[in-house]
Amino acid sequence: MNRFPNHRILPYGLILPSLTVIIAFLIIPFGQAVYQSFFRVSPFGRQLRYVGWRNYLEMFQSPEYLSTFQNTLIFAVLVIGVGLTISLVIALLTTQKIRGAAFYQIAFIWTYAMSPIIAGVMWSLIFDPSIGILTHAIADLTGYRINYFTDTVAAFILVTVASVWVMLGYNICFFVAGLQNVPHELKEAAAIDGATGWQTFWVVTFPMLSPTTAFLIFVNTVYAFFQSFGLIDVVTQGGPNRTTEFLIYKIYRDGFGRMQEGQAAAQSVVLFVLVAIVGAFQIYTSTRKSVYNR
Amino acid sequence: MFRAKRSFIITIVLVALCVPSLALAQATTVEFWHSMTGSRLTVLNSVVEQFNAINPNQQISPVLIGTYEEGLTRFMAAYPVNQEPGIVQVYEVGTQAMHDSGMIIPAYQIPERLGEEWDFGQYVAPIVRYYSKDGNLWSWPFASSSAMLYYNADHMRQAGLDPDKPPTTWEEMYDMGVQLIEAGVVTHAMSTGWPDWMFETQLAMHDQEFANMGNGRDGYPTEVSWPNEFTDELMAIWGKMAADNVWIYGGAEYNANGAFNSGEITFLMQSTSSLDGVINTVGDNFEVRTTFLPRLSDEYPRGNVLIGGNSLYVSNRASDQELAVIFEFFKFLSDPEVGTYWHKNTGYFPATNAGMQALMNEGWFTQSPNHLTAFLQILSGKTAGNAASGMRLGPFAQAREWVRDALEKVARGDDQRAALEYSAKQINQLLTDYNEFLD
Repeated sequence: MNRFPNHRILPYGLILPSLTVIIAFLIIPFGQAVYQSFFRVSPFGRQLRYVGWRNYLEMFQSPEYLSTFQNTLIFAVLVIGVGLTISLVIALLTTQKIRGAAFYQIAFIWTYAMSPIIAGVMWSLIFDPSIGILTHAIADLTGYRINYFTDTVAAFILVTVASVWVMLGYNICFFVAGLQNVPHELKEAAAIDGATGWQTFWVVTFPMLSPTTAFLIFVNTVYAFFQSFGLIDVVTQGGPNRTTEFLIYKIYRDGFGRMQEGQAAAQSVVLFVLVAIVGAFQIYTSTRKSVYNR
Repeated sequence: MFRAKRSFIITIVLVALCVPSLALAQATTVEFWHSMTGSRLTVLNSVVEQFNAINPNQQISPVLIGTYEEGLTRFMAAYPVNQEPGIVQVYEVGTQAMHDSGMIIPAYQIPERLGEEWDFGQYVAPIVRYYSKDGNLWSWPFASSSAMLYYNADHMRQAGLDPDKPPTTWEEMYDMGVQLIEAGVVTHAMSTGWPDWMFETQLAMHDQEFANMGNGRDGYPTEVSWPNEFTDELMAIWGKMAADNVWIYGGAEYNANGAFNSGEITFLMQSTSSLDGVINTVGDNFEVRTTFLPRLSDEYPRGNVLIGGNSLYVSNRASDQELAVIFEFFKFLSDPEVGTYWHKNTGYFPATNAGMQALMNEGWFTQSPNHLTAFLQILSGKTAGNAASGMRLGPFAQAREWVRDALEKVARGDDQRAALEYSAKQINQLLTDYNEFLD
């Protein structure tokens, strides 16, 4: 079958640049990671030694890795669930007929322009155990002084809240756009049929918004698993007691700080499989359930 | 208009023609990877500029490579592909790893290879001991520091304490801390930078080894020497301080400095290299004083505080020509004048005895007694023995993470013995792995 009659070579020539980049920067390094996950590197990287499945076996036997795995999943669920819910509520509020709606929309979207590093520094200073303004405020009000350098729960909540906050602008931006695309006639028809505001939202708006929601769930999943790295590196560096050392951060620490490249490679293969499954599942369900036809 | 454009082009061409002629001057440039961030970066760059101005044919090109940890990793990654620099600055934690790397030429062999002689006895003794292997220096002494106790004299006065009598033992630290809190001066009295290093330093100060095989100095260690009676006693008092709010855990590295600088706490255990930063930040807000680190009771022998900071390693692939530049640069760094300039602007020790003497002769220490504390402390300690000279561990950086892990648990009020035991087990596994995979 020739889908491009009279152009035998040209199509291949056109995809060649992208293909080269993908092979050179994605496929080959990935292959190397898989290869390396069966080896251990001598302390100064001069010698590779084949260890079979040892990296994988020790990984799944290590209590540190298992708790990292668990914490990452909880973190991801919170960032996606709580983050998207708050974003949707704010997006709904700013698309109401209120005075200055445009101002609020811009004000909420604006935070996305902030680099995660700046956001991280900001949050870590706000909750600094000694000089943080909110640490003091909370201590004055409740008598409890938060120290996220030692308090594992406080550190986990801080990182989660900061991550949700960082993604807020982006999520709101897409929800606002999605909400503005919901046909007005449908809402009017629902109103005429006697639907309450809540029913209209649940039966009309929310399903019409599902392509946006599906897209945002995927983006936030990628964020929670990979891009939260910058924030964690600034705020907690994985501590205390490795509570906020999520999978991606652990790979970085093991590979580049602790010089355990083989172990880090094995972890990155596992993370790849995990995210691939989650992503495939999301795309599969969302393309089937989403209302694309208007 | 057109003419201006033409003259612009001519200028460009002329400049372009000049560039190759500059290159023809045959200058040998050696790259120098370092991790001097913040105010120390400016000081280091000015030292290098002074050196480069002396001989245009011998140039050093400094490159800020990131944190110490990143620098070590990058050197390791760069060497196999022939991209490593001539000189790399490595923190004390990387000592054993660099010795084992097979990528460096030991410092003491540099003059030998160039057919020159150099007196290594001119460097301050504890620094030489820390970086020596079998009595020979393997890296060039550069920026050394040790930990000391910073305190807020105004707080002491407000709580009715004598600022001339800072705590010398942990019991005194506890009592004074409680008094400061009860007087309403602070909510927490003490914090520390580099908690892992403070733990190591406490062991060394009481002449206790960190690991077996002579603290890792007689061979590759197979296990750590703690928990033991000494660490039980130390953790008991640290745990008590945490429980009664005397000690607030301040995170790794320099996180705790902010609390001290803003007057939130009275005592800070931190590296001498923070001295100039602290003095400049605090300014006239309160009186900063420094003293020796607190000890446990005198039933344990006296050891010495540990050397921290960094030293310089040279790639074993440096050509003779490059090595000559490196050696010249190292000689320049060992100059008393350069050493005193470095010390006064960073708080690091000058590496040479002559530098020390120059500082004393000009009365620097009477002018700034806070700069003297660290010297007195390290020079008054024990000068021999494996425990006091500092430990050697291959997986040192990872071991530190586990020590920090245990201290975080202690600060939180967990069982102290169990916390140390768990970390000790993890470090022992790392030591086993290191020895197994050694070339």
